[in-house]
Amino acid sequence: MNRRTTRAAVTATATQWLLSAWFLLPMIPVMLWAVARTWPAPLPLPSDWGFSGFLDALHDSATSAFGASLILGTLTAVLATPAGAMAAYALAYGHLRGHRSLSVLLIAPAFVPPFVIVMGLNVTLLRLHVPSLAGISLVLMVTAIPYTTFVMRSAFAGYDVTVEDEARMLGASTRAVLTRVRLPLLAPALATSAFLAFLVGWSDYIVTLLIGGGQFVTVPIRIAAAASGTGNEPVIAALSITAAAPPLLLLVTVGLLSRQRRRRRASANPVTHTPAYLTASGALR
Amino acid sequence: MRSRRPRRRLSNAGLGLVALAVAIIVASATLAPVAFAAPTPQASAWANIERTARGQTVSLWMWGGDPQGNAYVDNVLTAAAAKLGVTLARVPIADTKDALNRVLAEHQAGRTDGSVDLIWVNGDNFRTGVQAGIWKCGWADALPNIAYTAPGDPLLASDFGTPVRGCESPWHKAQFTFAYNAARVANPPTTMPALMTWVREHPGRFTYPAPPDFTGSVFMREALYATSGGYANVPASFTQSAYDRLTPALWTTLKRLRPALWRAGQTYPKDSTQLDQLFASGQVDFTMTYGPATLTALVAKGTFPRTTKVLTLKEGTVGNASFLAIPTTSAHFAAAQVVANLALSPEQQAIKADPRAWGQFTVLDVKHLPPAQAQAFANLPKSNVVPTYPVLARHANPELSASWIPKLDDGWRRQVLTGGE
Amino acid sequence: MKRFVLLILPAAVPTALVLGAAVTMGVAQSMGLTPVAGGPQSSLDAYSAVASSGELAPAVVISLSIALVATAIAIAVGFTTALAMTTTRFGSKVLKGLAISTIPIPHVIGAAAIGLLLADSGWLARLFGSTAGNWPQFVAGPWWAATIIEYAWKESAFIALVVAATLSRDADELAKTAAVLGAGPAARMRYVTMPLATPALILAGTLSFVYALGSFEVPWLLGRAYPEPLPVLAYRLFTSTDLEVRPQAFAVSMVTMAIALVIGVSALRLFRRQVVTA
Repeated sequence: MNRRTTRAAVTATATQWLLSAWFLLPMIPVMLWAVARTWPAPLPLPSDWGFSGFLDALHDSATSAFGASLILGTLTAVLATPAGAMAAYALAYGHLRGHRSLSVLLIAPAFVPPFVIVMGLNVTLLRLHVPSLAGISLVLMVTAIPYTTFVMRSAFAGYDVTVEDEARMLGASTRAVLTRVRLPLLAPALATSAFLAFLVGWSDYIVTLLIGGGQFVTVPIRIAAAASGTGNEPVIAALSITAAAPPLLLLVTVGLLSRQRRRRRASANPVTHTPAYLTASGALR
Repeated sequence: MRSRRPRRRLSNAGLGLVALAVAIIVASATLAPVAFAAPTPQASAWANIERTARGQTVSLWMWGGDPQGNAYVDNVLTAAAAKLGVTLARVPIADTKDALNRVLAEHQAGRTDGSVDLIWVNGDNFRTGVQAGIWKCGWADALPNIAYTAPGDPLLASDFGTPVRGCESPWHKAQFTFAYNAARVANPPTTMPALMTWVREHPGRFTYPAPPDFTGSVFMREALYATSGGYANVPASFTQSAYDRLTPALWTTLKRLRPALWRAGQTYPKDSTQLDQLFASGQVDFTMTYGPATLTALVAKGTFPRTTKVLTLKEGTVGNASFLAIPTTSAHFAAAQVVANLALSPEQQAIKADPRAWGQFTVLDVKHLPPAQAQAFANLPKSNVVPTYPVLARHANPELSASWIPKLDDGWRRQVLTGGE
Repeated sequence: MKRFVLLILPAAVPTALVLGAAVTMGVAQSMGLTPVAGGPQSSLDAYSAVASSGELAPAVVISLSIALVATAIAIAVGFTTALAMTTTRFGSKVLKGLAISTIPIPHVIGAAAIGLLLADSGWLARLFGSTAGNWPQFVAGPWWAATIIEYAWKESAFIALVVAATLSRDADELAKTAAVLGAGPAARMRYVTMPLATPALILAGTLSFVYALGSFEVPWLLGRAYPEPLPVLAYRLFTSTDLEVRPQAFAVSMVTMAIALVIGVSALRLFRRQVVTA
């Protein structure tokens, strides 16, 4: 090994460690605070350890907040995933008139700040007597649609339609093509887009606050209320970890499942090869 | 492909137009003024109200940053309300303005089945609600437990200069309080001018939250009283001439103070929570609060240093009361009144005044309570951080009318925050 | 054809309704057509009031600068991470895991976390034993450092994953082919990796930029009292107890949206051109 490659290897390793630190560092104080009972300044570590943050959060009805967040996340995923998938399908194969303006329309919510939408829409929804759950779901769904549509468009861009033709030639019915070929092949992309939609509902603050009218006290709402007081760091940290855990678990589960599938099928399909996040090129064309 | 382009563009435009038209129709349908008249309930006997209240759910929107307050409402007040057949649901918010905003939106939309039944409120939030006509009025004077308050108590008759007129029922009294770290401040100042001198002599060890933060705004009014030679020289209700006469001295003083503040006054804590964090971590030696009730718990939890002491000023500080208000958009008027009355009962007021529960000062006239109930207050444990209300409220200054507050906040932003020397 | 139109409606109709109504109502309220108190009147007073208050221009400058710097860092870090993720074992395991774990953390929590890390009494200041006044003013400082770092942190993970997904599909084989044909690392980067990554970088970078421009929680928690970015200014005016300034809140909100849309649409055009030429 010559000197230049050694230096390059050292640089590469250093870069990797620096990048790891970059992603990891911000969450360390949160983890420490979550298990700190008291941590007066200027001590670099808590003076007294314990789970008081989690216990206080539990007493302060964290479970119902958890449930409310879960409902909003699930509803957003259930609404935005099929809508996005169907829209992406239509845009990929429909040769629709107004294709371009429809594309722009469906991505536009990502370019309009949420507070703009919510401030404008709040009174309208109240006038129309839209129940608050329906109102939140509608806005969260629209906020999630750019992401679900986008993921599914990328998936369709890499989707090989000839597989369906082959299945048909082998005698598969339309229904069988849908359930046995298309859905399984698109499942990883569907899972990704459902996950992103879930995150929109799960982590939302401003839509739940202004349109929800206090009926949905979610984890972010609790965190913001706790953060407006003094000395609540353990509770905030405990709630934060609680808020980050379920999506992570979901992510790990989806990852493991799709790996298992891949191993089982061992069929080389571009869609199953790129389950993670958004494959950008090819979309929005 | 190229030849199809114009056609496609046309249909693009058509599609866009249709979408826009639909949106405008929907939106303008909702723009139409909605005529509504809030049904004024006939004065009914209390028993009637209690009967109507049974089975109703009351949403109480309150600032959720104080775990003790949350626990008191969830564990004590909610249980007591359940005995009267009323379900109490607490909605935690980061700022009372969020609740006000919600009611304003519901009011704009002409709703009478709104999601807010009770708000913990006072000061300029109350006044804004009065301006917009969103409070139910006249009910608070008719609550049975109002009899335990002192008749004509000025703190309860007007809320920052806005007459209460039965539009809100009293809940706590509070006294604006400075706290300091006795380990660092050996000889604490005892007047507002002396505090200013201390600040100039100890650069970087003091700051205040930027108005319009509630606490920063109070500090500015304290400073206005000091630069005007006492509260008596500041007319309670706002006039432009008083503003023009009195504020130049205030702005000069605060601007002179600026270089001696934390970070040389280049920036300010955005709210009292950030100031508290600076105090907790020893970056400044003073903090201030309109809710001294929380100090005991913050010292016990180890957030604030053990050497935290309350600073009592010779000329006194401003005091206020905070209230529970019912918006006109509430569909649970009866149950909201029942909860407000319950919150005012001597039993609840005594529990709430216990520093181990919440430590909020009572609004009742303890001297004239029946002996058994007065005893409950006499038995309250003393806090070793916060003096009793009578000590704190000695020489209490009245609050300025709420109409002063936006003007002063705005003036501060223009003159002190962004203005030059 | 009809079937396809039906398929797009569940996404298109709610989006058109929500955006259309929000914009219509936003414009109406900014022009004083639906006041909370008093009668409706139509004027552009709110726009001129907020412009002449001397707060709008600094807000625009601050918001654009924060979004620009944060996105630039996020793109640089995200792109490097994506390269490491697609070319090294460590990257594909550890870095990918760390980046993915960053995605589900809501920005409000991210802001709280950055505050606990970088504030004057934060963990780093404590670790370095910094005494009062010596620690750099990350939080609430004149350079908006904590705000920028929060956006850069969260968005770099997002960009890394988007770019890595694009690269993992084609880059490896193309790079190998190029290497066989004698291309050096620099040439491979320039002629293979960059063209492949650019569209994804543009798109993900735009999403990050617009997010940083329009989100309220992060600068509100980590920023300073003056000058305020656009969303903080809008929210302060929106929740002001002075009802007269509410139309100004909507004026600021409409200005923010106009800026975000212009940037979003121009980026989309650039993206399309890149995809077509790639």
